[in-house]
Amino acid sequence: MKKDWWKALGVLILLYTFTAGLLLPLKPGIVGVNPSTARTGDTIIIKARGYNSSFAKAKTPIRAWLKLDKDRALAAREVKIKSDTELELAFDIPPFLPVDQRAQDFTLIIDNDADGHSVLPSAVIITQDSIQPERGAQVWNNSQVLNLHSNPKGITFPFRNILAETIRNTYFHVALWFAMVFLFMAAVFHSIRYLLYGNLLSDNKAASYTSVGIIFGLLGLITGIIWARNTWGADYKFWNLREVDVKQAMTMVALTVYLAYFVLRLAFEDPERKGRLSAVYNIFAFSALIPLIYVVPRLTDSLHPGSGGNPALGGEDLDNTMRLIFYPAIIGWTIVGFWMGQLLWRLNNVQNQWLDKTEE
Amino acid sequence: MGLLKETLALMRKDLLLEWRGRYALSGILLYVFSTVFIVYTSFEELGPQAWNTLFWIVLLFAAINAIVKSFIQENSSRQLYYYSLANPMAIIFSKILYNIGLLFLVSLLTWACFSLMAGNAVKDLNRFILVLFLGSVGLSITFTFVAAIAGKADQSATLMAVLSFPLVLPILLTLTHLSATALRLEQTTSLDKDIAILVAIDLISMGMALLLYPFLWRE
Repeated sequence: MKKDWWKALGVLILLYTFTAGLLLPLKPGIVGVNPSTARTGDTIIIKARGYNSSFAKAKTPIRAWLKLDKDRALAAREVKIKSDTELELAFDIPPFLPVDQRAQDFTLIIDNDADGHSVLPSAVIITQDSIQPERGAQVWNNSQVLNLHSNPKGITFPFRNILAETIRNTYFHVALWFAMVFLFMAAVFHSIRYLLYGNLLSDNKAASYTSVGIIFGLLGLITGIIWARNTWGADYKFWNLREVDVKQAMTMVALTVYLAYFVLRLAFEDPERKGRLSAVYNIFAFSALIPLIYVVPRLTDSLHPGSGGNPALGGEDLDNTMRLIFYPAIIGWTIVGFWMGQLLWRLNNVQNQWLDKTEE
Repeated sequence: MGLLKETLALMRKDLLLEWRGRYALSGILLYVFSTVFIVYTSFEELGPQAWNTLFWIVLLFAAINAIVKSFIQENSSRQLYYYSLANPMAIIFSKILYNIGLLFLVSLLTWACFSLMAGNAVKDLNRFILVLFLGSVGLSITFTFVAAIAGKADQSATLMAVLSFPLVLPILLTLTHLSATALRLEQTTSLDKDIAILVAIDLISMGMALLLYPFLWRE
């Protein structure tokens, strides 16, 4: 029992991942605005809808800005609170903009003491009839975005537009993928050991870890499909390779490679021969898999983070709260994966021994 | 030095065998000719998009047919004889090099066949020849290695297709993309990157093939 502590640890970590990952609330955010376009010289009233917000409970006046860039922003003339999740913001748009393009997008920032500040990038697009940056600079009534409240609601996940609640899928989709790669690495390790020492148990281990890796890969694919349907559009078809995301296509190819590994194993009767050939194929397939998953998608356009110039995981994508769940989630899934693999190879081992005995 | 000498000798042997038998090349040529003929008769007008797709499909199957018999054309006792004479690395290296040459020749002939019957859609000749060469290298490394594995089974042709198609898919995707630019179907923005991907994949699979083959031939 003493040496099995890591299994309990894995289950505990996964329990923590599921509870914290699914129950912690999202930080308040702005879901949308209406109208989202305006013309210069207008006085517009923008209805902003909040998410998880409590505008009505704010003790200090709510402030709102349309932000142009780091230094320049336009403050709202009046903020009317309709409900906890609805605001009416009145803005006086100047007759000219201090930019040299016809249409300019503005970021909406709302700040109050109950929710902290929330941001909606490119919320409003303002078009101007004549482009006169000098006059625009003269009439620009600048108001600095200052003294923002930090989030008072305690531990929350960041609110990201489009992602919204699906951000929790990070602990499943991404973590399952990491665990899958670790399982495939373990399988390669045992394949190498089999080639070097010729112990049939190593071959058994390699095949078991590979099958668990395939299961994790399928789970990662399914969670990815669910995620894609919620963020990239409900009619996103994962089987249509022409419009499919490159990373997802490569995943399917990778899974096919590993399914071929099992076809190869079925083709041979003699366990030694089966072991050697499948070990060789496994190592070759893994080395072909690395460019497939990590290099090709990074160089072509993809909707995933980390490709087509998008930043990879880390950086902006994870905040500290998410890290506290994401990293344990990887460890938890990996441990449970190895446990499953261990059960599988022990079962196969017992079966083989029993078969040997009955043959005698 | 010995490795290089052995490789050259083994390649010369393969060439001689092919020259005396003329079985592989003529079989592949017949295959290419009949497929292109079917393509030509079923398509009245072959647009460049379809040209590109069909060209690579025909070439893919021609390549598989050409390479699948690399390790089964000679019987096992004769192979044992080679293994007792030569370094296993020299054996796989010579096979890969020979197959690169064979595949490059086959791809040029396929191109000629397409040009004769379905018209030549290639606008940028130099680039297309470069793509053909890179493609021959990539496909023959993977196919030769998989043929060495599949050659040990009874149903080697089926196993070969199952094992190698997923493995060559990234190569093939990059190749069709590159050749689409040579046909002026797409604007290139990432020519260097695509070529770099191909060379990287080729180098990795070449290294793995050389490293792993010594474990494979011991039977």
